Amino acid sequence: MAELIELEQRLSRLGGELEWPATPNLAPAVRLRIATRRPRLDRRWVMAAAAAILVLAAIAAYPPSRDAIASWINLHTFIRTVPHLATPTPLPPGPLGQRLGLGQQSTLPQARAALRWPLLVPASLGEADEVYVQPPLDSPSGGEVTLVYAGRPGLPAAGETGVGVLITEARGAINSQYFGKMLGPDTTIEPVTVAGSSGYWVAGAPHVFVFVDSSGQIRYETLRLATNTLLIDVGGTVVRIEGNLTKAQALQIAASLA
Amino acid sequence: MEGRPTDDAELFARAQRGETAAYEEIVQRYQQLAFRTAYVITGSAADAEDATQEAFVKAYRALASFRPGAEPRPWLLRIVANEAHNRVRSSGRRQQVELRLAGSYRPGGAAPSPEAAAVAAEDTKRLLELVNELSEEDRLVIGSRYFLELSGEETADALGIPEGTVKSRLSRALGRLRARVEGASIG
Repeated sequence: MAELIELEQRLSRLGGELEWPATPNLAPAVRLRIATRRPRLDRRWVMAAAAAILVLAAIAAYPPSRDAIASWINLHTFIRTVPHLATPTPLPPGPLGQRLGLGQQSTLPQARAALRWPLLVPASLGEADEVYVQPPLDSPSGGEVTLVYAGRPGLPAAGETGVGVLITEARGAINSQYFGKMLGPDTTIEPVTVAGSSGYWVAGAPHVFVFVDSSGQIRYETLRLATNTLLIDVGGTVVRIEGNLTKAQALQIAASLA
Repeated sequence: MEGRPTDDAELFARAQRGETAAYEEIVQRYQQLAFRTAYVITGSAADAEDATQEAFVKAYRALASFRPGAEPRPWLLRIVANEAHNRVRSSGRRQQVELRLAGSYRPGGAAPSPEAAAVAAEDTKRLLELVNELSEEDRLVIGSRYFLELSGEETADALGIPEGTVKSRLSRALGRLRARVEGASIG
């Protein structure tokens, strides 16, 4: 034990004697890059922020919604108004999900074998075109899995992504992980229940996801679909269904999760 | 980089209100720790600089998700570490960090004689060589805890592993290093 403590002390002293590469002064470059974004803080975003505040105020003023949302927030979701909505960066080329920064490409059997919680798959959509796993799987969130369904007849692709539906699952009820939701103008949020599971239907564009997890991943830079979204809690697993879907379609997909 | 919670809280509050000058001060304050953390992860000064710059820009855009009153250091480090890991993943390889002693290193301060100082210098040099010989996993955890002086929680964030895993990984890494130190008969 004493030797270990001495070794730790020596390592700490050694840390003070190391030659590190010179730290560059990053402030000018960061200032420049931040400044180039500023013109986007124009009237549209001010209006968007005002609308978002109105939506939240309306929700907050209605007690049942407020209680339900407060409960949801305590579990998994973090809703906040923002001064301006993030602008998605252009997507690099590659497989559907890779362009969206969903993690490591996998397969359904591999993902199921790796996870410590049961992965839900919607019977109504059949087999996913791509499966992605976002480690670390031994983190409190148990990692995150996204099923990617390409656009097809009846399931139009969102924007230029080529993706019809994204279903993202993570273990919920944890403190280190939260979903952020930025609501834009004309966005609505309403509580729903699907086969006994409670959740929210968020509709209307634009809205932007921010999901900061324990590894610091900020997802709005690699924006997902920013389309209508159904968020539900199925037995402690947070399931997010995104796509150019009607509420009925999203609820049908959610009801077929097994 | 010392803990100055009041100043940090005020700076972050001002930055959240859109004061870029306040954010610039945050960058100045944390860039060394951020850069060195990224360097330990990527093993490349150029990659570390890119990752750190990108992380500060992303952090600025994500200021809305920073909870007022929270400790900013772990929040920033998570974003920096994530960017650094992204760079390692996208390049498909990680360069091994070869840490060196500073040219100005003089161990004589605590040594009673020139001979003892020379022995101490040699021991320190050898200890660093032994650290550099460890596996990447061991070097990362030792580098984070002792060279960057990150807390257990910050190390967990920087390496993307649970804090409990940091403890067990660190314990095993120290055990292996100790065995090497004993094998090399130094210290």
